[in-house]
Amino acid sequence: MNTALPEMLHCLQTPPENLVESVADLTMLERKRAQLKRQLQQQQQLRQQSQQRYFGETQFYVFPQPPVTQAQQFQDLINNDPALREFVNRSMKTDPGLANDWPDFGKYPITNTGFGGKTADFGCNGFGTNSLGTDQSHSVSISRTSSCPPAVPLPDEKGRDSAFVATPSTVGRESFKKRKADKTQNTKITVPEDTRDKRIKTDAEETKITVQSTATTTRSTPTTTTTTVTNPSNSNDTTTANNKSNKETTGDSPKDNSKTPEVPKPDYIHVRARRGQATDSHSLAERVRREKISERMKYLQDLVPGCNKITGKAGMLDEIINYVQSLQRQVEFLSMKLAAVNPSLDFNVDNFFGKESAQTFPACNGNSFPTVGLSSEMANPAYLQFNPVQQVVSCGGLDMAINPPDEMTIRRTSSTPISMPEAFLDTTGFTQAPHSSSSWEMDLQGLYKVELQQGRPAAFPTHPFTGTLEANNLKMEM
Amino acid sequence: MASPSSFKQELLKKWVLGLQSCCSMAKDMGISERKKAIKLSADLAMASARDGRTCWSRAVIANASKQNESKILVQKILGSECERLVKASSIGFSSCNKRFTSKRILRRSCSSLRRIRRSAPKRVQASSIAKRMVKKRTQLLKGLVPGGESMDEFSLIEETLDYIISLRAQIDVMRCLADASERLKSQ
Repeated sequence: MNTALPEMLHCLQTPPENLVESVADLTMLERKRAQLKRQLQQQQQLRQQSQQRYFGETQFYVFPQPPVTQAQQFQDLINNDPALREFVNRSMKTDPGLANDWPDFGKYPITNTGFGGKTADFGCNGFGTNSLGTDQSHSVSISRTSSCPPAVPLPDEKGRDSAFVATPSTVGRESFKKRKADKTQNTKITVPEDTRDKRIKTDAEETKITVQSTATTTRSTPTTTTTTVTNPSNSNDTTTANNKSNKETTGDSPKDNSKTPEVPKPDYIHVRARRGQATDSHSLAERVRREKISERMKYLQDLVPGCNKITGKAGMLDEIINYVQSLQRQVEFLSMKLAAVNPSLDFNVDNFFGKESAQTFPACNGNSFPTVGLSSEMANPAYLQFNPVQQVVSCGGLDMAINPPDEMTIRRTSSTPISMPEAFLDTTGFTQAPHSSSSWEMDLQGLYKVELQQGRPAAFPTHPFTGTLEANNLKMEM
Repeated sequence: MASPSSFKQELLKKWVLGLQSCCSMAKDMGISERKKAIKLSADLAMASARDGRTCWSRAVIANASKQNESKILVQKILGSECERLVKASSIGFSSCNKRFTSKRILRRSCSSLRRIRRSAPKRVQASSIAKRMVKKRTQLLKGLVPGGESMDEFSLIEETLDYIISLRAQIDVMRCLADASERLKSQ
C-alpha cells in the first residue's frame, strides 16, 4: 500500500484529458452519489442487524492490497463522497479488533486529507467521472466485499475463465431482478440500474461482482459467521499477511478475495470503457491492428522520398503508389535500354564476369569503393580523378566496376531527395558517391529495423559505418 | 543473404544466369521480345534472390512458372531450389487466386449495390469519403505489388516495404549492367 501511494498520487495528477469530459459527466456523478448513499444506508442497516457483520465491512477497507488502479478508484471514491469518507473514518475509530492494521491503513486516508485540497478536484475530474461503469462496479464491489460472500458457490469461481460468462450471467440476471424488485420503491435509482444492466451484458467481470453483491444483500445472515472467523486473523502484522490469512481462513472464497482486484485491472487500463463501447475483444484487436499498420506506414514514409511532409493515409498511399509505379517504370525503361543496346541478347557476360567475378561483383554494391581502392593502387589517384577514360584503359576488365558508379550515383541522387550542389556535378562524381551510398545504406537500415521487428530472419544486416569509413579512405587516397 | 550488397550480388548472378539461358534459348528476337525476356529474367532474379520468403516474390515466381515459355527460365534461374520454391509459391498463390475470384464477385455485387444507392440522394460524411479514398488507393497498391490481391492491409504494407527495397536494388543492378554494356560497345 505504501509503495502504491506515489503512483496513486501521480495518477491522480496525470489525466488531464479527463478534465474535458468531466463537465458532461457531472450529472452522472451526482446520480452515482445518490446511489452510493443508498448503499451506505443499506450497509448501516445491515450493521444494525448484527455487530459481527460490521467487522466484515471493515475488512474490506483493509484488504485491498491494492493493485494501483483499484486503489486509485477507491481513493477517488473516498474523495468524491464525503459521506463515504466519514464512513471510513468512523469505521476506523470504532474497531478495536483490527488495531494492528490501522497503522497501515492510517496513512491512506491521512494522505487523502493532506492532498485534500488538490485531490478533491482531481478526484472529481479525473476518476470520479472516469466512467459510470467503473465507479459503479467499484461501489458494488464495496458492498460485496463488505459482506465477504462465500454465498457464491465455488464452481462459479473456478469456471471464471471460460465458462463463467455463460453460467453466472444468468444468475446475475435473476438475482438482478430480485434486486430490482427490492428497490422498486426508489424510482430514482432504477435509472442507473438499467444502465448497469446494459453494462453487465458486455462485461462479464462486472456481472460477477454484481452477482455477489446482490447475493450479499439477499442473504446477509450466513456471511456473518464466516467473517467473524476471518477477523481474528486480520490482526496480523501487515496487509499482505492479512490477505493471505483471508485466503486461508475463509477457505470458501480464497480466489474471490485475491482475484477480483486483479482481473478487471487490464480492462480499466487499456480501455476507457466510456459509454459502453470498445470493451469487447474485437474492437481491441482492431485497435492493435491499426496501431501496427500505422507503425509500418511510418517506415514506408521514411523509405519513400517526399513522403515526409504528407499527413493523412490517403496522401501517403498516393505517394507510395506513385513511387512504386515510378520504380517499376524505371525497370521497364532499363530493360528496354538493355534490349536496345544489345541486339543479340548476348551480353558478353563472360567479358564482364567471367574471370574476375569475385572482384567485379562488389561493383554493384552501390558503394563501389573496394574496386576504387584497388584501381587507385594500380593507377595514380590523381590520374583516376581527372582521367577516367585512361583509367578504363589501364584497368581493362574493371571498367564496368569503376565507371558506372559515378553516373549511377548522379542519377540515383536525382531520384533521391538528397540535394546535390551543382558544383559537385561537374567534378568527378566520386565525391558524391559517399553521399548517395550512405543514404542507400540508411534506407536499408530502416528496412533492417522493420525486419527485426517482424522477427523474420534478418535479411539485410547492415554495416552502419561502411559508407562513411570508405569515404574517408577515399578522401585520404585522393 | 547477408547484406544489401550481397543481395545485389545474388540478384546479379541470377540475372546473368537467366540472361544466358535466354540467349541460348532463342537467338533472334525483336526488340520488344528481348525487352520482355530481360525484364522477366530480372524480375525472376529479384524474386529468387529474395528466396521466396516474401509474398510478392512467391507471387512473381508462381506467375512466371504458370506460363509455358517462361517455365524453363524459372527453372534455370532458381536452380536447385526450383522445386521447393515453385511448389510453395504455387500452393500459396492458388489459394490466393480462389480468394481473389470470390472477392471479385463480391466487389461486383457491391458495386451494383452502390450504383443503386448512389441514385438516391444521401448525405455523405467526411469520414466515409476518407475511408473510401483510402480503400481505393489500397486497391491500387494491391494491383501494383505482385500477389497483392490476396493480402490484408497490414501484410500489404509490409510487402510493399520489401518490394520497394528490392526494386531499388534491382534498378541499381540493371543500371550497372546497362552502363557497362554501353561502355563496352562504345569502346
